[in-house]
Amino acid sequence: MNLRISPAPHIRSAVSTRSLMLDVVIALIPTTAAGIYFFGLNAAVTVALSVAAAVISEYLYQKIRKQEPRINDLSAVVTGLILGLNLPPSAPWWLPVVGSAIAIVIVKQLFGGIGDNFLNPAMAARGILLASWSLRMTTFYAPTYFKNVDAVTTATPLSAAASAAEATSSATGAAPAYQMPSLTDLFLGNMPGSIGEVCKAAILLGLIYLVIRKVITVIPFVMMISFALFTWIFGGDPLTGLLTGGVMFGAVFMATDYSSSPMTIKGQMIYAAIIGFIIVILRKYGSYPEGVTYAILLGNIAAPLIDKYSKLRVYGEVKPNA
Amino acid sequence: MGRLTFSGGFHFDRDGKAPTRNESVREFVPESVVIPMCMHLGKPCKPCVQKGDTVKIGQLIGEPDGFLGVPVHASISGEVTDIDYTQQLSAEPILSVFIKNDHKNEWYEGLKGLGDVEKVDPDLIIPAVKEAGICGMGGAAFPTHIKLTFPEGKYCDTVIVNGAECETHLTCDFRLMIESGDRIIDGLRACMRALGVKKGIIAVEDNKPEAVDNLKKLSEGREGIEVKPLVTKYPQGSEKQIIQAVTGREVPQGKLPIDAHVLVINVATAAAVADAVKEGKPLTKRIVTVTGCVNKPSNLLVPVGTTFRDLVEQCGGYSQTPGKIVAGGAMTGICAPGDEFSVTKACGGIVVFNENEAKSLEESPCIKCGRCVFVCPAGLKPYLLKTYTDAGDLNGAQAHNVCDCILCGCCSYVCPARLWLTASFKNAKEKIALAARR
Repeated sequence: MNLRISPAPHIRSAVSTRSLMLDVVIALIPTTAAGIYFFGLNAAVTVALSVAAAVISEYLYQKIRKQEPRINDLSAVVTGLILGLNLPPSAPWWLPVVGSAIAIVIVKQLFGGIGDNFLNPAMAARGILLASWSLRMTTFYAPTYFKNVDAVTTATPLSAAASAAEATSSATGAAPAYQMPSLTDLFLGNMPGSIGEVCKAAILLGLIYLVIRKVITVIPFVMMISFALFTWIFGGDPLTGLLTGGVMFGAVFMATDYSSSPMTIKGQMIYAAIIGFIIVILRKYGSYPEGVTYAILLGNIAAPLIDKYSKLRVYGEVKPNA
Repeated sequence: MGRLTFSGGFHFDRDGKAPTRNESVREFVPESVVIPMCMHLGKPCKPCVQKGDTVKIGQLIGEPDGFLGVPVHASISGEVTDIDYTQQLSAEPILSVFIKNDHKNEWYEGLKGLGDVEKVDPDLIIPAVKEAGICGMGGAAFPTHIKLTFPEGKYCDTVIVNGAECETHLTCDFRLMIESGDRIIDGLRACMRALGVKKGIIAVEDNKPEAVDNLKKLSEGREGIEVKPLVTKYPQGSEKQIIQAVTGREVPQGKLPIDAHVLVINVATAAAVADAVKEGKPLTKRIVTVTGCVNKPSNLLVPVGTTFRDLVEQCGGYSQTPGKIVAGGAMTGICAPGDEFSVTKACGGIVVFNENEAKSLEESPCIKCGRCVFVCPAGLKPYLLKTYTDAGDLNGAQAHNVCDCILCGCCSYVCPARLWLTASFKNAKEKIALAARR
């Protein structure tokens, strides 16, 4: 009889790194489908290129560094998918490829690989793309629904509203007030924007799935509440704010990245609240109409500090002065 | 009132209790037993019989040595065929007494009980427990008479009988609560009277409503006894966690339950105390859950010293090639090197895993998901502790409270990267304890 000897425990949960990543991919299916439905073939190609480039970058990096390839854990698929969904449907083919390579090689692997990246790889890559090719990254078109029409370049509701406000404040008085799409259109995604961020209904489906599967807990809720609260304090409309731009997509899929968010529930609440606040500040005072990317990156940078100072109460802790 | 529970913990994906839960305990007496001289926490006993001697059930065969000593008694009647070192579950071989059964089933004559636990002189209870060789039967094997004797100046106001049985697979405590509830209650009363404590609580996880109902019925009219259901969650049966759930108190860091004015004993220990006080019978038998890949998973009432090989035979043999044999529960049990080890006083279960289940899952990098932090009942940050223990930085690990780790295994269980968190903390705790003794 050949018996194995090991330390306890002798049973393990069925949840593994791979199963968690697979859950995220599943949660992103409605969002991806909606993006492709609204923006057609180009959206599908962008997302596919992004995923493929992420997986290939990871594999090549690990081969070159003579590490054991870990593409089976599906984390590169998640990174590629999220980055792809964060790009405009008008993106040229090289944009997702360069973005995914940056995300995987520079942001993730050079800092130690899975679990050790201090920034969300997809987010940091998007930030770099936005700073490097800002025009390419902000050229949007209205939904085409696979119809064979020429895509008409247009502004997103957020940027249109921002330039309208600027025009008004510069007191020319000539700019016509921008007409927001209806709340229903905003909710369903019938609006210009990045591939994955437009359909809020699909994002909510993903959120429900991830919460039921216990993949994520408080971050999306606290972040959205904080965002709505500060929007209201600064005189905006919380609902329109939530339904425009990438707040919801960011809250559900990007701020929740494990390695770049805090490890305790208390810490996660502080982190999510900070991100919500920074988005409002960036949207109101920043030079870009949107602020989710940079807000999450700033939150990521704060996460280690939050972890260091969010002390847990140890069982039986004796108060020094008791 | 909210449902009673503790902080942290988790629910199992799947519970392995089902196969043995609803079947009565079967009694089994083997042809021979091998009784190790050390089944408790403390120094091994000195054998006080010779090869060739005839012994009867309950006869003293091992004299205690040192402060933590617990006497050992013959568990079957028959002839002492050998006294030799055997390989048990610890690394070092243990001196053991081999007895061949003569099937006369005779009890030793010198045993005399004290009678009704409600009438016995309280001062005689602890000596009776000591003589009966009782140690914690929930797994820790701490000498019960020492637990019942606390240092000057300490006091106890509540005795908790631990019937949580939170491990998957094991059902020996559940069957005991169903089939011998009266002994548990007598044992609790004996402990309460020995200590002059007015409040006794039997705490049971709420996935065992039959046990709760049975104990409630049996404790009617008994002084100061309450049966409390607890939320079903691992590790509810851990001493510190059951104290938190039942009383809302916490054992201060580095202290003992008595510093929270509580005494906790396992249900089987309580039943053994009742036998010792009422009938003067030493602890010679216990219920063992044998489950996993055996043909007929069962709860068996067996003499201490029964070898596992005999148990498997009683359970219809292995159903698959065994890959790992674990004495104790699947979460905290110890791996056996073979199937010749003996059932000890503290061994409540043996789980056989097949070759596939026995395979260690491959470790992968920590993804910082925080699951270990959410489940840790001690309030630690296991992912962070692991970075210190991996680096061999015991001071750092100590500064982050590794010594408060209760080794429940929760963090390892939930870790999606399959890291051996608990094992590395156990290692660190042992090294720190060793350094402190030097």
